[in-house]
Order: sequence, then structure tokens, then C-alpha cells
Amino acid sequence: MIDLRNQAAVVGIGYVPFGKRGQYAEKGHLRLVVEAITAACADAGISPKDVDGYSSYYTPIDPPDLFEAFGGERLRYASQTWGGGGASMCGAFSNAAMAVATGQADYVVVHKVMTMETGARYGQAFGQLGQGVPAVGGPMQFSVPYGLQSPGQMFALAARRHMHRFGTTTEQFAHVTMHARAMAANNPEARFRTPITVEDHHESQMIADPLRLFDFCMETDYGCAVVITSAERAQDCPHPPAYIAAAGLGAPYRFGNALMSFYNQPDDDFASSGQRAIAAELFRLSGLSLADMDVAMVYDHFTAMVIMSLEDFGFCPKGEGGPYVADGNLGLDGPLPVNPHGGNLAEAYTHGMSHVNEAVRQIRGTAINQIPDATNVLVVGGAGPAPSSGMILTGER
Amino acid sequence: MSEQMPGLPAPKPDPATAGYWEAAGRGELVVQRCGECGTDRHPPTQVCYVCNSLDWTWEPHSGRGHVFSYTWVDRPILPALAPLGAYNTTVVELDDTTGVVRILSRITDVGRDELAIGMPVEVHFDPAGDGIALPVFRPVTEVAR
Repeated sequence: MIDLRNQAAVVGIGYVPFGKRGQYAEKGHLRLVVEAITAACADAGISPKDVDGYSSYYTPIDPPDLFEAFGGERLRYASQTWGGGGASMCGAFSNAAMAVATGQADYVVVHKVMTMETGARYGQAFGQLGQGVPAVGGPMQFSVPYGLQSPGQMFALAARRHMHRFGTTTEQFAHVTMHARAMAANNPEARFRTPITVEDHHESQMIADPLRLFDFCMETDYGCAVVITSAERAQDCPHPPAYIAAAGLGAPYRFGNALMSFYNQPDDDFASSGQRAIAAELFRLSGLSLADMDVAMVYDHFTAMVIMSLEDFGFCPKGEGGPYVADGNLGLDGPLPVNPHGGNLAEAYTHGMSHVNEAVRQIRGTAINQIPDATNVLVVGGAGPAPSSGMILTGER
Repeated sequence: MSEQMPGLPAPKPDPATAGYWEAAGRGELVVQRCGECGTDRHPPTQVCYVCNSLDWTWEPHSGRGHVFSYTWVDRPILPALAPLGAYNTTVVELDDTTGVVRILSRITDVGRDELAIGMPVEVHFDPAGDGIALPVFRPVTEVAR
């Protein structure tokens, strides 16, 4: 079997300044992603014309449009993964790594972009609903007609079940956002830098009980791109490479459309991020363990799902995620610092791409809240929809 | 469109799901049962997740179950739902099935402080036009027993 460990590396990151919802609607998706790719290529010390592969996830952008836009010599690789929002994001990095490590392409760009331009950011069915369609088919015919129409409402079902089974509290949810705000306080790029208290959290508007406004990340207009090349080519790039020790996606038994429309997972997986098997696979492929990680980027679209991701990745035993976050374990002085940039909840919601940016900055030693000598970084994809995903980046080959 | 919650889209039946919605239109809850191994499943699909058989039938169900999880939606996505106030969407686990069968639905006739995980419920129906209806549930009361 081919060992892909550390055979590919992230050598460039680029993004447009994070915007509020709809801010970049007039620019449109293509302009946003072109700006991000231009910046990422500059960071990698290459021309956008050198890019011969594109990889994304759940994207509105077709690779030929990008290839055409930049006037590339030859397109050699194009792929995307499925799974709503940012669930499968690390799968796009896995695909890119396989492509450059096996010589199918030299430079693959992983890209993701979103504005409210299309009104379809929650996926097609949600987008249609805003337009008052008379009937909904497909898997969502079993959820949307009952008024289950947003990710927040869906994740509330998992949050409620977790509270019921393990005694998790909304105060513990609050600590996830409190941590994110504290981390973002000195991050000039973060959208939400004001500290909050448990009281502030509990006074924020109830959206889908038990989830309040401060349990939600905020929709962001963004364009992000990352350049990936082989470990050999990475030596010629200006910045220290962030090698991909392992990346992949997956879903457990009967996860199906999970909270979107399914609900028949085994009980332990219902109130989970669905990432236990992915975690085991990443550690197996990389030869590393959670104890080897110096810092973790955990996809934090909803506070309750952070708690479940921490459990699935083994930060704490199943059911103990609530006390774990409330006891201050996420902080810079904790056993494994989480999201030192402020994450989705405080910096910006970019369907996971800004977590990768921060992982790369930590490895380069250029993060604002730098973990001393950070070498191994865990990146956790979005919890909830299947397939979800994960990745380990490392500064040591 | 739901009579109880006007403004929400109706389900659009397809070959695997029409039998479920049409039965509900007749006031009957049915569950898809594998013709080979007898496993019950929902949402309806073309293939059994246990034995991969393509044969299936619709089996009448008592409509009894219990609340597995729920949310109260305070801020609806559709503006048309705002006048209704907070509503719940609830995962109901059906009793007496072969294999787990959970249905996303709504509990009617229940207060916000009353709805709880484990609550016994029974089916009734919310007409949705074109001969179909949405199975919904309400708490099992002593009178109903």
C-alpha cells in the first residue's frame, strides 16, 4: 500500500478579508475565489498559471471556470467531495494530497467560497424554501414539511439528546463561545472580539431551543484558497511546509443524512459528531496520537457540536465534553489548546478553511496566539452531515 | 401544504415514499418492511439496509411511540410561520418495530414545559392536500387509552 504520510504539503494560504453576510454579493463567487487563489499562489511563490489541479467540497465553483480564468497551460486534476457545508472539507485536502503525491498534478488548489449571492448557502432545499416552493422532494420531504429548515434546528436535536443522556448544560455550551471570544480578542481579523459571560450567552435570543444566538457561528462572506504540492516541491517554496500527515473523510454505520433527514443512528452516534472512526483512521495513518498534537482546530459552527467533536476525537471520554469545556481545557494553557484564532464562532465562518489557515500559521510560527514550537496540528471537519472529515498537519517530515 | 402550519411546503412523494404519504392521507401510519428479513425502516428507501433486499411492503403500525429528541423553534426560517409562535420538531421512536424506526414529526397538544424525552405519544394526522397527510403525534392520555 502507498504510504501518503507527509508526501504532500500546504505551501500557500490566501483569503479575502472576512465580510459580513451579503457584503461581497456584488463581487460574486468567481471574483472572490480568484482573489483568494491569487493571494495563496503569491504566498506559495508560484503563479496561478502553475496551478494544474483544483479540489473543493460542496462548492458552487466548477474547476473549468477557474482554469479558464487564470489561463492555465493544462488542467490535470479536478475533484470535489460531498457532505453539507464544511463537513467533508478535509476530504478535499486528502484528494489534493493524493493527486500531488502520485504525480497526477504539481500544484493543486483547495478552494472554498461563499456569499449570499445565490441564496443557496444552506444547500439547495433550504434555498428553495425561502422562495416558497409548494413541495419538497428527496430526503428532505421527511423534515422540511414539519418546519425543520435550518442547520441550527437540526443540531438542536443532537444537543437536546446529549443533554438528556449526559447531563450536558447550556452553561457548558456558553463556555465554548466564551473561549472563542477570548481567543479572538487580539485577532484583528476576527469579526467578534468582545468577551462574553455565561449571562450574556443566556440572554441572547433563543433560536432553536436549546440553542441560542451565541451558540451559532455567524454567516460570513469569504473566499479562501490553499496551495498544495509534493513534499519535494515544497522545499522550494518561501515558507516552511505544513506536511499533510493524514487526511480523510467518512461516516459511521447508519449515519446516512444524519440530522438533515435521517435520525436512525445508534443512540451513541445520534448525540455525537459522527467522527470517532475518522479520528482513529487519522491517528492510524499518521502514526501519531492525540497526545502528540500541539494544538487543535475544531470546526465550531455550533457550540454543542464542538463538545461532541472533542468526545469523538478522544479529548475526553464520551459524555464528558460539557465539563471538559467548562473546566478551561480549551485555553492556551490547557492540555491541548483549541482554536487560538477564535474559530468559526468568533473569527469567521468559512466552512473550515480559516481553521486550516490557522493550522498553517501555527506550524510556520506566525500565529497571533502562537503555541510555542507547535509542530503537529489536528484539524477537525464539520460535525453533523455525512461524510465528515479530519486532517493532521505537521511541520516535521 | 400542512393545515396545521400553513406556509410550509408539502412533501413531494416519489416511488419509494408515495405509499407512506398516501396511507397517512387515509388516516393510517405505515412502516416500510423488508420482504426478505422483515426489518422495518424509515425514511422509506428502495433497499433494505440489513440484507440489501429490494423487496418491501407497507405494514400498518399502531402509531404508538415515544419522544427521542426535540427542539422548540423560536425563530422560524419562513416569515409565514412567525404568527404561530414557537413550534416543536420532534424525533419520535416508534414502539414495537423490528429494528429502530425514528420519524421526524411534531407533537401537538403539548405545552413547552410538558414535552420531554421519553414521553409516550400516539399518531394522528395533519392533512397536506392531494390526498396525503403528515403523521403528527400527541401525548398519550388516559382517556385515549
